[in-house]
Amino acid sequence: MSKGRKKGAGSTKKLVLNIVLYIIAVFLVLWSVLPILWMAISSLKVSTNMFTLPPQFIFRPELGTYKYMFTQAGFGKFLANSLIASISSTLVALFIGSLGGYALCRGRFKRQKDISFWIISTRMAPIPAVILPLYMIFSRLRMVGTMPGLVFAYTTFNLPFALWMMMAFFADVSPALEEAARVDGTSKFGAFLRIALPAASPGLAATGVLCMMFAWNDYVFASALSGASTQTIPIAASLLVTQTGIAWGQAMATGTIIVMPMLLGGLLMRKYLVKGFSMGAVK
Amino acid sequence: MNKARELRAHRRGILHDEKLTERLMITPAIIALAVISIFPLLYMLYISMFDYSMSVNNPTFVGFQNWARVLKSKTFWACWKRTGYIAGIGISVQMVLGIAVALLIYRLPKGQNVILTLFMLPVFVAPIVAGLLGRFLLNSTYGFYSWILSTFFGYSEELFANPTGAVIGIVAIDVWEWTPLVTMIVLAGLQSMDLEVLEAASIDGASYLAKLRYVIFPLASRTILVALLIRSMDILRYVDTITIITEGGPADATRTSGYYLMQTAFRFQNFGQAAVMGIIMIAVISVLGKLFIRLMGRGVM
Repeated sequence: MSKGRKKGAGSTKKLVLNIVLYIIAVFLVLWSVLPILWMAISSLKVSTNMFTLPPQFIFRPELGTYKYMFTQAGFGKFLANSLIASISSTLVALFIGSLGGYALCRGRFKRQKDISFWIISTRMAPIPAVILPLYMIFSRLRMVGTMPGLVFAYTTFNLPFALWMMMAFFADVSPALEEAARVDGTSKFGAFLRIALPAASPGLAATGVLCMMFAWNDYVFASALSGASTQTIPIAASLLVTQTGIAWGQAMATGTIIVMPMLLGGLLMRKYLVKGFSMGAVK
Repeated sequence: MNKARELRAHRRGILHDEKLTERLMITPAIIALAVISIFPLLYMLYISMFDYSMSVNNPTFVGFQNWARVLKSKTFWACWKRTGYIAGIGISVQMVLGIAVALLIYRLPKGQNVILTLFMLPVFVAPIVAGLLGRFLLNSTYGFYSWILSTFFGYSEELFANPTGAVIGIVAIDVWEWTPLVTMIVLAGLQSMDLEVLEAASIDGASYLAKLRYVIFPLASRTILVALLIRSMDILRYVDTITIITEGGPADATRTSGYYLMQTAFRFQNFGQAAVMGIIMIAVISVLGKLFIRLMGRGVM
């Protein structure tokens, strides 16, 4: 910063500009982070000081809301349902997705472009338009409200996503090593399993975290397809909204429980986020 | 001679084995994709030919009557018009803001990564939680943001109670959650830019605006388009926040075509007409998907 003064007017101008830019940046960060922080803080307040304005930032944190949710409101069950549904669909998507993604990336298929379009349009299909036929089919098969039904529903968006992403991640792995192994007599599948897959494993992990997130964060599919015994946490959150009012303490605690693991998972695979969120179009 | 032929046959064998393995590896994906996309789509076409209003288990065949009813319905077109402008406003704001923030972060001499990481946290938030938070923060009696609005700007009405306010609120939540996505993608595009061109422009004494217009935007245009298409497809998909905050109201102000479909199917049990709406929605998003594929094929991947 002292360098700025030495160099005269141009540098001073630059210094001022930088300070202004950082001030704006701090505001942008506040705009993004404050609501999440607010939620977490509110979930630790007792209802008497939760609604106080101007807000109290110094207070004794209480875990009462969380204790109530897990001991009396049966929250453990919702948590278990969410975990089972999102983990199962993620595993299915990763399994089929890495096999198919590899084949699509390395193989030569006649209608590669059409397959790509098929995968993308399945991934991006409007949620309400996917739910309707699923609901009708499931009600014929008596699968509405069951866990397999929910897992299947989540696979409708996770599978095309995993396929697409694994295709992009395998494209980043140089085929040279696989070819060398092939010359040494390893089978094509052996080369995939022992060389390509380990090399693409960070991508596999990143894809897995995102699949988890999409299923974990879902509300609309579960609202139509889950039943009394398969309600997930987002459904539990929505049930706190009633005609007579909203149990805000529990709503903020539920929100915190939904958001925190995803923040953590997202930050862990920070490096691959752009690729994941741009459907592999940007590295 | 013989040896060469043997070798050739051997190589052909390997190629054959390779093709077979690839086929086998892709088969589960193709079958699964068919089951999760083609079968439901065909089933939806089937549903669209039936009337479920008398009995859900025993629908009556009505041909294209549902299609005619939906296409003639004023409500249906009103919902699309609304979807169009809500999505239009939302995406314009997100794109402009997202690109501006990306440019800002790109200019920071230090800490680009930390600022971006903190700024992008909302993309991990479940849409339903974002909706609940919006409702909490913007409540006129105990919401923190409402308190700021009334103390510093003199606005003390219940935002979601009037039509314009509800649209602004819903759009604001979407902007909060997804602007970082645009920033993230565009910033990645900026960071992968060839710096030499930019430096050459600086040496030539080009102003920042000129650099923006002639160097930065042309180089980043592909990533900007990617962000635009992804956001356009996504904004038509989500109905979570509307479901949890406004339920399409007040006075239908936030009844988008996605929400209307959910209502028609699950509240009015009018599955036939809902199916028609679903097929139309899929058609609209397919066009965007096609553009996306073309864009991918053109650029770096």
